[in-house]
Amino acid sequence: MFSMLQRSQVASLVSRGKRTKSKDVVNPATQRIITQLSVLSAARKQPRLLKLCKEDYIKHLVISKAWSLLNKQKQTSQREMLQKQYDSIYKANEDLKKVNKFLFEEANKREQSKRFSLEMRVPTEYPPNKVWYYDYDPNASKNKK
Amino acid sequence: MFKNLRIGSSCNSINKRNFSSCLVLKNEVSNSNSLINAGILLSRNPIVTADMNDFEKKYYKYQEELSRRLMWTFPQFFYFRKGTLAERRFLDAQRGPVSKQPGVWFPKGVPDIMHNRERRYKQEIIIPREETSSTSGQEDSNSISRPIQPNSRITKSDELNDFKSLERKLSRTLYLVINTNENNIWKFPSFQLEKDLKPLHIVAEEGLRKLGGDLIKTWTVSNTPTAVLKYSKDKKLIIDTNSNDANNDDETNISREYLIKSHILAGKFQLQPSQNIKEFRWLTKEEIEKLVTPNYFQQIGHLLSNV
Amino acid sequence: MFVGLQSSVYGGITVSCRSFSSSSIQYRVGCAMVKPVHHRIKIIKQLLSPKYPELKLEPNDIRSPKFKPTTTHQDRVVEHYDNTLASDLLLINYMHDQEDVVGNKRREWDYSSPYHINRPDRHPRGEKVPSPTVKARTWKNIPNIERITLSSFVKEAKENTGFSISAMLQLQQITGVKPRPIYAKTNVPTWKLRPGMQMGAKVELKGREMTQFLSTLTELVLPKIREFKGISNRAGDRYGNISFGLTPNEVRFFPEIEANQDLWPKTFGMDILFHTSAQIDAEARTVLSAYGLPFIGSERIPKYLL
Repeated sequence: MFSMLQRSQVASLVSRGKRTKSKDVVNPATQRIITQLSVLSAARKQPRLLKLCKEDYIKHLVISKAWSLLNKQKQTSQREMLQKQYDSIYKANEDLKKVNKFLFEEANKREQSKRFSLEMRVPTEYPPNKVWYYDYDPNASKNKK
Repeated sequence: MFKNLRIGSSCNSINKRNFSSCLVLKNEVSNSNSLINAGILLSRNPIVTADMNDFEKKYYKYQEELSRRLMWTFPQFFYFRKGTLAERRFLDAQRGPVSKQPGVWFPKGVPDIMHNRERRYKQEIIIPREETSSTSGQEDSNSISRPIQPNSRITKSDELNDFKSLERKLSRTLYLVINTNENNIWKFPSFQLEKDLKPLHIVAEEGLRKLGGDLIKTWTVSNTPTAVLKYSKDKKLIIDTNSNDANNDDETNISREYLIKSHILAGKFQLQPSQNIKEFRWLTKEEIEKLVTPNYFQQIGHLLSNV
Repeated sequence: MFVGLQSSVYGGITVSCRSFSSSSIQYRVGCAMVKPVHHRIKIIKQLLSPKYPELKLEPNDIRSPKFKPTTTHQDRVVEHYDNTLASDLLLINYMHDQEDVVGNKRREWDYSSPYHINRPDRHPRGEKVPSPTVKARTWKNIPNIERITLSSFVKEAKENTGFSISAMLQLQQITGVKPRPIYAKTNVPTWKLRPGMQMGAKVELKGREMTQFLSTLTELVLPKIREFKGISNRAGDRYGNISFGLTPNEVRFFPEIEANQDLWPKTFGMDILFHTSAQIDAEARTVLSAYGLPFIGSERIPKYLL
């Protein structure tokens, strides 16, 4: 700090015409903000635009179309399956209503605070080291408490 | 405003429902609880992601490459401060781009470099490896920087084709099917209701414990049945038709099986010896289709997941 | 309809002074009765001009400068929903003989007074805010997460704008999506708060970025937070949107920040808002629990839904 002050004094003595502060002295806090802003901004970081030739462009269109068709097929089959499931739930309940009133009421009770089990995991790309947990004992957790 | 209070099931709201039309039927049928069964559709959810076909793999690869090509330049100045050792090591690890020189002919086009990146191509970043691996082989297996070796998606059970293992076909949903001694038919397990009536999902879960032992953890999806299967007096599956008149004639003799959905989450499924059952298997949708009768599959096929 | 109303209101006047001049006064209304039809169609001048044809392309067109590929990998969260959760949720939400339950809505004025015209509708009967209409659940309206909004409001930013920039960068690092700044709206002189001050940042996630964030949150971040027991069962806006907050120290567990601790001397807390397509909060909580978010506390379900 002290040495820098001296240097600037010396500089002002040598070159009288210089009135602005020298550029390389930036407050570190300001410097951090400048760095952060330049991470956020696209300036000087963007690649060149894609320039496809006609053939490549048509290839791209064909690929995209094929993908969207595949997706559409998947979605329609999924929707159809859910619709069928809904119909079968409806039929089962309609039937149960005729057969037994008690069972029907029990089957249509709204469960308070229904939560999915935390053991139900989202599938991963590769299996865990222990694929299936075999040592489950329902009484073990009760005994602990 | 709230005259329609029918979501939910307090006794009041249920009484409001119109049961008068089926009262007679109810009295007739409810005497014979033995004709009602609670079936269970027990599934093991996929553990790994679905298998991709060739097109999907290639499409993802294509999109990935496109996105890498269009990515912004890696802000190296943010992660490695100027003049530090870390920056030096990072820069040493990179393969720098070819810079433009006056009077030089470039066969692949004139380089366009900004922030140490060739703007015409994707940027490849090499993370400098830590040099701890050279010390000894034993530390290597525990260090964080060791290369990742994923487990195989195909397990031992797949190779042995062990239908009784829960570790087979990790990318698919497996369902529990059993073969009863009575008529040698593959079907989902089902349990008869007893004299003291219990809700269907409880009967199904208790029956499952009797069948496969107590050491399993399951999660019942809902107390509502997903489907009903009707059997005639001679234990033949009645194919559901829209004309109800035919069925109504011998309504009293029809036995019903209400399917309750459940997932197995942990534990060992061991067939109990006391049960009158020959074999059990964990199967995918396609395998079930091959094993069960076409009529049966027609009624339950839509309940099974394609993946 | 309004004309008839008017004549009944001003009936007395009509009788007392019936002349041409007064009749013109009679039918004059204080405001326009017909909604203006001018300038309804938005003209995008850019599309009309022949300049810069590449700017007129759709953003998903590969020739457009905005093009950004999205389907770069298999989306395991969405896959899980399609394979397992959708049909489970269909069954969970099913209730036999369902009908739509109409919510308590704002009421229209009866136009018995001329001042009713253009007046905001009355409060719902017996309440201050309207309640949602709940439609019967079918295979068409199975609930799912639609989007996630992260917002971080930094109090200290009113003295030092740098903090709001840091908060913005923090959100970008965590999500990989460019955030938008948020500005103060109110003027509170005692807090030295003025409208227009940049006070933080927010970001809206959809698609793969959303599922990526969701799995990072549930699989890496939340298990590391010791104090975290679950999202409160009381959180929610009654329309199926649930939110909770992370403190600055909890944000440190995000891998992007955890790996570069020295770059982040100060972190910023954030609010995480899950927008779901569920109709009521109870259903939304069931959906979120399917993705591995725990819930804690007692749950209140509106009386008319039980």
